[in-house]
Amino acid sequence: MTAMTEQASTIGPMSLAEIAKGHGDQGVTNRDAVFKVSDLSVSYSGNVAIRDVGLDVHKNAVTAFIGPSGCGKSTLIRCFDRMNDLVPGAKVEGEVLYHGKNLYGSDVDPVEVRRRIGMVFQKPNPFPKSIYDNIAFGPRVLGLKGKLEERVERALHRSALWDEVKDRLKESALGLSGGQQQRLCIARCLAVEPDVILMDEPASALDPISTTRIEDLMHELKRDYTIVIVTHNMQQAARVADMTAFFSVEVDEASGKRTGVLVEYDHTSKIFTTPADKRTEDYVTGRFG
Amino acid sequence: MRISFQEELDELERSLHVEGELVLRSLRGAVEAVCAQDLELADEVIVFDDDIDSQFFEVEQGIELLLARQTPVASDLRLVLAMLKDNLHLERMGDLCVTIAKLTKLTRGLPPDETLLEGFREMGERAEQMIRVALRSLEQRDRVAAESLLELDELIDRANRRIVNRLLDVGHELEQREWGLRMILVSRCLERIGDHAVDIGEQTAYLVTGEFREFTDASHP
Repeated sequence: MTAMTEQASTIGPMSLAEIAKGHGDQGVTNRDAVFKVSDLSVSYSGNVAIRDVGLDVHKNAVTAFIGPSGCGKSTLIRCFDRMNDLVPGAKVEGEVLYHGKNLYGSDVDPVEVRRRIGMVFQKPNPFPKSIYDNIAFGPRVLGLKGKLEERVERALHRSALWDEVKDRLKESALGLSGGQQQRLCIARCLAVEPDVILMDEPASALDPISTTRIEDLMHELKRDYTIVIVTHNMQQAARVADMTAFFSVEVDEASGKRTGVLVEYDHTSKIFTTPADKRTEDYVTGRFG
Repeated sequence: MRISFQEELDELERSLHVEGELVLRSLRGAVEAVCAQDLELADEVIVFDDDIDSQFFEVEQGIELLLARQTPVASDLRLVLAMLKDNLHLERMGDLCVTIAKLTKLTRGLPPDETLLEGFREMGERAEQMIRVALRSLEQRDRVAAESLLELDELIDRANRRIVNRLLDVGHELEQREWGLRMILVSRCLERIGDHAVDIGEQTAYLVTGEFREFTDASHP
């Protein structure tokens, strides 16, 4: 049997609907789960920031966390690279499996976790060093093999910054524009060959054109990486994410304490056209509060 | 809460209902013109279509602006999309009324058949009822009312078939046959108005449930 007929016979019995299903974001949930979160609760000095979260983050997809301030979306994303470990009084309960392995297991080295799982923050935070040294820093510290120049160039290409900085690699990174600095931070993340890129409000301090660049970049990068993004900008989630999780805040009437909860997690197309939960509907249509 | 957005959305929906009322007036005029052989009224119906068209453009432009400025999502998005289509259906109904009026003018002086004219009155009333049900289903987000349009459509379809059968017996004189040919088209126009009302009902069902499905599948009669 030739390759041609093999292919035809695979497509043959499929209905039109099934073929369509393979395209767009509908196929995302069939992919492996990079993170499997179950019954996750995080508290800071006894105050529960987020409670009983369960969701899967799928490979090579962009997953967005949206919700009002205080809903715990940043708290959750910080669980994925164990950044909450650094907060005094923070307590993480429940389970986060990373490729099936307990991320909070006693044998897990948080530094290795942060190499595999990179983070980009709201405000670009380049080191006060040259553009080159910003990217080379991680690979040097980790002693990664291969030619350093090639690694730096590859990271800058992948973050769509190379053409803009190739003639001034030795200049200070602080001389770059805000949008360039943010792409530099993404390049710095890529230079250590991560598996996942976490982005906490990566474009909220940027102008619209730089924002578009970052969004385009996410679209490019998800082919090779898994991306999780926290965003206040709902339209950004609608534009870039394959899957969207909506979080809300529950206020305890007696104590007045506020706790974040996961309300709905589904394909982005579903969240923005036919959300199942009234709270999601109210939030995405702007009728919240 | 997005107050100005909600106001714009409400205003658009009101404009669409105004357009619906205009279509109802046009329909009554067209049916009356054909049944009474009233050529003056037929002319009025033709001119009146400009009012429907300008209402159509007002809704269309309102939707364009709303999409550009407010980026509606979820049920808001479904409402805007439903209104975009309903707007077109109403405008088409207006055009069909114009066609009826023009056919009335073309049959001036030809011998009418009273039984058939009675049939048109019945179809006209049914079409009017269907438009009302369709508009109310949208206004009240009433899926059951929207689905009831399917039964009403069956009645108007049957009336259409009766008229076609009757036309075969109208007579053999050239003038009678010419009149009959024109009247087949009038009957068809009224039947089409019913179909557009069903389509509006389908949009209501989509708005309420989030799932689009045709009430009847044209490919499987």
